Amino acid sequence: MWTKILLDALLAAIAAIGFSAISRPPLRVIPVCALIAAIGHALRFWLMNDSFGAGLHIIAATLIAALTIGVLAVFLSPLTSTPAETCLFPSLLPMIPGIYAYKTFGGAAMCVLSHSREAFDFYFYQFALNGSTCVCILLCMVIGATLPIFLFEKISFQATRPGNNA
Amino acid sequence: MTTDTTHCRDTGNSTAAFLASYAARLIASGATCIRLEKNVGRLAKEFGFQADISVMPRHIHLSLSDPDGNHIITAMAAVETLPVSFNIITRLSRLSWEVSDRHLTLDDTRLRFKAIMESDRAHALATTLLVAVSNAAFCGLFGGDLTAMAIVAIATLAGFRLKTLLTSKKVDFRVVAFLCAVVSSVLGATGLLFQIGTTPHIALGASVLYLVPGIAFLNSFSDMIYRHYLFSLYRFADAAVITCCLSAGLCTGMALMHTGMF
Repeated sequence: MWTKILLDALLAAIAAIGFSAISRPPLRVIPVCALIAAIGHALRFWLMNDSFGAGLHIIAATLIAALTIGVLAVFLSPLTSTPAETCLFPSLLPMIPGIYAYKTFGGAAMCVLSHSREAFDFYFYQFALNGSTCVCILLCMVIGATLPIFLFEKISFQATRPGNNA
Repeated sequence: MTTDTTHCRDTGNSTAAFLASYAARLIASGATCIRLEKNVGRLAKEFGFQADISVMPRHIHLSLSDPDGNHIITAMAAVETLPVSFNIITRLSRLSWEVSDRHLTLDDTRLRFKAIMESDRAHALATTLLVAVSNAAFCGLFGGDLTAMAIVAIATLAGFRLKTLLTSKKVDFRVVAFLCAVVSSVLGATGLLFQIGTTPHIALGASVLYLVPGIAFLNSFSDMIYRHYLFSLYRFADAAVITCCLSAGLCTGMALMHTGMF
């Protein structure tokens, strides 16, 4: 169990490091992003797992994990003297439902190219199932992650104030 | 009286011009609208004015008024299309606090602003390698095996390098997204074509994910929470267009390689 959770956390941390590099953060933020992403993604992995976790649906698990990531980003950002978004956004990116988006797009494309009703029905099912799941995951991600910034506005917007991290 | 009015107008003009450039650079670097309002408001207050900002997709419209509301000065600045830089956002936010807490003059603030702009350098090679490794890790998160992760790393390496080259030549970002997706998906489809590994479909799907404009989508929602609907829609539309371009690129790549999606 722990091996699987740690592997998930490690992969999420590596993904967060690379995605944060694209958005040119201050170097001191990168380890924080990796840590937050690892905790958030591993938590979602545990929440979703049927055998050793809580067995939640991916949408509910994503909301809880995103909320956790948001809270961690808000409270850790003063330590690095950076805006909360700098810690938050790269940490959240490993949770983007890329494969669901890929299957949604694939389903839509294959619907158009299908030659029979059975094939169309199958691909439309793929499109609708993956598309609705993808949209719900994205909504839960952004709501869960941005809510802490909204709730703890003072901490979020004073994180870059010199001396605030003391 | 006339001298005072003229002095106030001159100070207001130069302050407005600076604040408009500051705001334009902050928003172009990927800051949220609420952060822009707070930072510019803080700076304007320290310089003795009250600021009102309209954030439009292509420009910033800033109005300054004195505390009595007698003199209103307006300035505009164009918003460039720049890569997201949290380094710039962090340092510009810090600058606004330094001005407020240490009472810096406008000239000092301008000098510091210029220094921040000149210091933002990207490490292209390191970023390319990190993105390749992270996209491979992303593939692993989706259940891809080691072979799929290796394929994704190579596909990302080639695609991201192309993106860096085309962006430096000022090629339109939509064309860049399409071409990079074609290159990455062609390389990502090699697992399917040659039957390498056990999860070739995951490799193909993950090979273009580094192009998804995640920050733009997240910023868009954040702007919506603070009721900046216009800019939120602009950011969402921009991100959706990039997603369509990369999807079209993925489709083209798959058609070139004669691979299916399921």
